[in-house]
Amino acid sequence: MNQFELQQGLCPELQLFPHLIAIGNKKNNAIQLNSFRESTSDHLRIFYFIDGKFEWEIQDEQYLLYPGDTAVILPEKKLSSVKGFLEVGTIAWIDLNVQKLDYRNLSLGEWSNLTESELLTIGSILQLNKPVVRSRSGETCRIFIALQNELFNHEIGFHTRVNQLLDELLVSITRELTKQSNPGRDFPKVFLQLEKRLRENLSHQWSVEEMAATVGMGTTLFNERVKTYTGFTPTNYLINLRISESIKLLRKPEIKLTDIALDTGFYSSQHFSTTFKKLTGYTPSEFRKKNYYS
Amino acid sequence: MDCIISIELGTNAVRVYAFDLKGKTIAFSKGSYPTFHPYPDYSEQDPEQIFITMLYVLKNLLNEKIHAKKYKVVSICFSASMHSLLAIDKHGAPLGNVITWADSRGQKEAKILRESDAASEIYSLTGTPIHPMSPLIKITWLKNHEQEIFKQTHKFMSLKSYIIQQLTGDCVIDHSLSSATGLLDIYKKKWDKTALKYAGIRADQLPEPVPIMYSPGKLLAQYRVSLGLPAATKILVGSSDGCFATLGAGVWDDDKATITIEDSAAVRVVGTNVLVDKKQRLFNYVLDDKHYVSGGPSNSGGIVFEWFAKQFGDFKNAYDVETCMEDLITEASSVEPGSDRLLFLPYLLGERAPIWNASARGVFFGMHINHERKHFARAAIEGILYQMYSIEKMLQEHRNIKKISVNGSFASLPFCTQLIADIFNLPVSTSTNASSVSMGAYLLSATELGVFKNIDEAAKSVQLAEGCKPNKHNHLIYSKYHQVFENLTAKLASDFEALADL
Repeated sequence: MNQFELQQGLCPELQLFPHLIAIGNKKNNAIQLNSFRESTSDHLRIFYFIDGKFEWEIQDEQYLLYPGDTAVILPEKKLSSVKGFLEVGTIAWIDLNVQKLDYRNLSLGEWSNLTESELLTIGSILQLNKPVVRSRSGETCRIFIALQNELFNHEIGFHTRVNQLLDELLVSITRELTKQSNPGRDFPKVFLQLEKRLRENLSHQWSVEEMAATVGMGTTLFNERVKTYTGFTPTNYLINLRISESIKLLRKPEIKLTDIALDTGFYSSQHFSTTFKKLTGYTPSEFRKKNYYS
Repeated sequence: MDCIISIELGTNAVRVYAFDLKGKTIAFSKGSYPTFHPYPDYSEQDPEQIFITMLYVLKNLLNEKIHAKKYKVVSICFSASMHSLLAIDKHGAPLGNVITWADSRGQKEAKILRESDAASEIYSLTGTPIHPMSPLIKITWLKNHEQEIFKQTHKFMSLKSYIIQQLTGDCVIDHSLSSATGLLDIYKKKWDKTALKYAGIRADQLPEPVPIMYSPGKLLAQYRVSLGLPAATKILVGSSDGCFATLGAGVWDDDKATITIEDSAAVRVVGTNVLVDKKQRLFNYVLDDKHYVSGGPSNSGGIVFEWFAKQFGDFKNAYDVETCMEDLITEASSVEPGSDRLLFLPYLLGERAPIWNASARGVFFGMHINHERKHFARAAIEGILYQMYSIEKMLQEHRNIKKISVNGSFASLPFCTQLIADIFNLPVSTSTNASSVSMGAYLLSATELGVFKNIDEAAKSVQLAEGCKPNKHNHLIYSKYHQVFENLTAKLASDFEALADL
């Protein structure tokens, strides 16, 4: 890769790609003190390390970054160098504008061809995992080189190709991240991560796709594994969690039934009451009366 | 037709079986719940989740397989893992999660008691080895570390007591489970004053101890209606999983022992006497008014081999640890007994009987440049079974065991069953029932119904499949290795401590 640096608004090469805020590849020959203070950005920042050894702090955690590693810094997340300056070495980077990224949503904009559910999966995985991919597959490097070629050579179809490559970069990073965190061995461990997340966000209207994405699995395999491991479909497992949690809240007489219903993820107190009665035979208020000894 | 339901509240899952009156399984269903480890030594479960999971599984099984086929449920019998503790406030609400048998937060409390003068009296009267698993130690821990919870606690329950109370309103604990709390006088079957005093609680803070055939009140009307059960359905309080597994395996004579290996493991015998072990290595739990189940538990069961498979096996399909383990066993079977001088101490989770050392760790010993993965796989399996053999040898000091019956998913793998026969030099039979625990529950329920005259007759009705005969030649090899295994375990004790103190 040759050294270069392009910035949105300054370089005509990026005119067709308003979502691409910056892209570059630079060799840092000398240390400049205080040149790398803590920063946050509105953009998704991706770094690829080509040469040297870097000690960075990402979201308050320290990482040693070596050639071949990729780091992904999400919008609004902190990044700094542990030593306060950029170390000697070579890195490539991309700053990408995202329209929205929270734990339920990732939207990139019209330019991307990723489907809504793929974006949801990618968004969850990026947020749930460590921000560093350690892979020797060279995928990130290949995509960076291809991007540079497309941007400078303007061959037929380069407009489409650049956007495709950006999608490809995100897909490849996410795949590596899931491989890294779930090597496909310990389903109970993976399931426990999901359990924790469900309990923490019980009021959220979870879909099965979203649950599967949370642990970086496809929906079909996820369904099958949850059924074999727990005996329940993911949806039924979630309903059981909701009712168990509601029982705990019903034992606290100061909490209103409507609040319990909504806090535990039922659409309404009616929905709560019907589901609760179907399983236990009690309506929530009957259960409360029977099970609180004063 | 009449049927009997057994509900097993196990470590990882609730299993519901339905039997006809002859003991044939007519339906089965299970639902799992997770264990939380908020801190390294903690092991907790959500009591409401277990309750709801049980209700859901039971309801579906009844609707789909029992009511649909016009079976009539005559009784429901419960069993549960031992040593669980759940603190309940005066309003009947749990103060936190259930603390399970695997929780070891009370290591310091256990050590203090073990080294005190009270130890031998408490151990010999209560039958429970002094260890963090024991509710006596757990309550002492709460007293020392969670004073608010300790003060607010109206009742210290077992998980099963809580579930039965939800369903019937009665607050009871069966003799088997209560004899595993470290708080029950196993001779008088009453809460022991010395142990209560040590824990700092009163007898009325515990559920009432009742015989395993005791029937608490009827199901509350709402549950009965929602489950579609007749008013006459009898609830039996039942026993612990360990005691039922022994009964269900039909191990009823003095010369028989049973080996259960699931995730954890145990070797057990049944008898009418308490086995007095001066070194405090054995448990003596109450089965009924005449019988005791005695033996030694181990942490190093199938979970150890599963760990090995996850770390070192080949995964052909995502998350398919079963196939991966099968492949490793096939590999292991191509290695000669003794794994070509490779030994494995399986103490990945510390160990209970017979060494009772929470600081013990796993060890591969004797590695050589010619050893391959298959040697390590075989050594891992042999190590798990040498450990069982150590427990059995300890029981041989009290009994003359001539026959072994195995059950549990790991022990009943054909490769392991043959290895057990060779290592122990005893004939081994396997239980033909899917679950020895639920078989025990069936035998108790059927006795209560009058199908059997008494529990002795019930136990003797269990059919055991003709199993493996020991290979004398292999036994000679294994017994030499086992000697080294025990030497190593003893020699490393101080180093295990040193490692833990680093």
